[in-house]
Amino acid sequence: MTAIFSALADPTRRGIMERLYVRGETRATSLAMPFRISMPAISRHLRVLEDARLIERRRMGRLHLIRARRAGLEEARRWMTHYAAAWDSALDALDELMRRDRDRATKEDR
Amino acid sequence: MKSEMKMNGNRLQITRVFEAPRAIVFAYWTQVEKLQQWAGCKDATKVEIEADLRPGGSFTQKMQIAGQGEYTFSGTYEEIIDLRRIVYTATMGPAVIRVTIEFFDEGEGTRVVITQEGFPDPKLGRIVSQGMNESFEKLDELLAVRSERLTR
Repeated sequence: MTAIFSALADPTRRGIMERLYVRGETRATSLAMPFRISMPAISRHLRVLEDARLIERRRMGRLHLIRARRAGLEEARRWMTHYAAAWDSALDALDELMRRDRDRATKEDR
Repeated sequence: MKSEMKMNGNRLQITRVFEAPRAIVFAYWTQVEKLQQWAGCKDATKVEIEADLRPGGSFTQKMQIAGQGEYTFSGTYEEIIDLRRIVYTATMGPAVIRVTIEFFDEGEGTRVVITQEGFPDPKLGRIVSQGMNESFEKLDELLAVRSERLTR
């Protein structure tokens, strides 16, 4: 999970991911163009995304074809969902605690 | 899901109304022994909190999570305004998030608004929600899926 987030923390890599979503499978060389950075720099970014399992690479001779792995982002989404759910359940617990305090106070009043 | 969730760019906003006065709700956020009673996720079997509750003070929350081992996160309080507002920054993996908690009167109760900013990727919300609504509207549905997965 940490690998996914650090991979996505970089704006160029986010740009690459977005482009892959829009265009589907794309040649590594044509991914470099809109970012005005060198091919070695793109290769480094691709390696990070690959390590985070956000993309997949297919080799056809000298041609490298890159595509986004759905499962990778699913994991990120699940994490966000989990995070929000953790908050919700903690707030449930807080609600319950205060409810108990209140019940106790009402009893004492009687 | 009893909280209202809104996801917008790199902001996640959680709103919840409690049937308790502001002073009590605020105390549950600012007294360590009270905070410790609720501040873990529901899978946490043990929660230990150390907190220096003043601006610049730091905190550490250590949790034992069933089936996942220990999880720790820590941060620094930036602002504590009595009965009104708490701001802290926390480090989660590579990301630093800034959390603002605001307390408002709501009838006899209290409305708490928790705004979290700085998720690692401003576009993450958008990218990850492809194929579903941009917001967390479908969260309940997702959670149902999640609990199914957990109970399996």
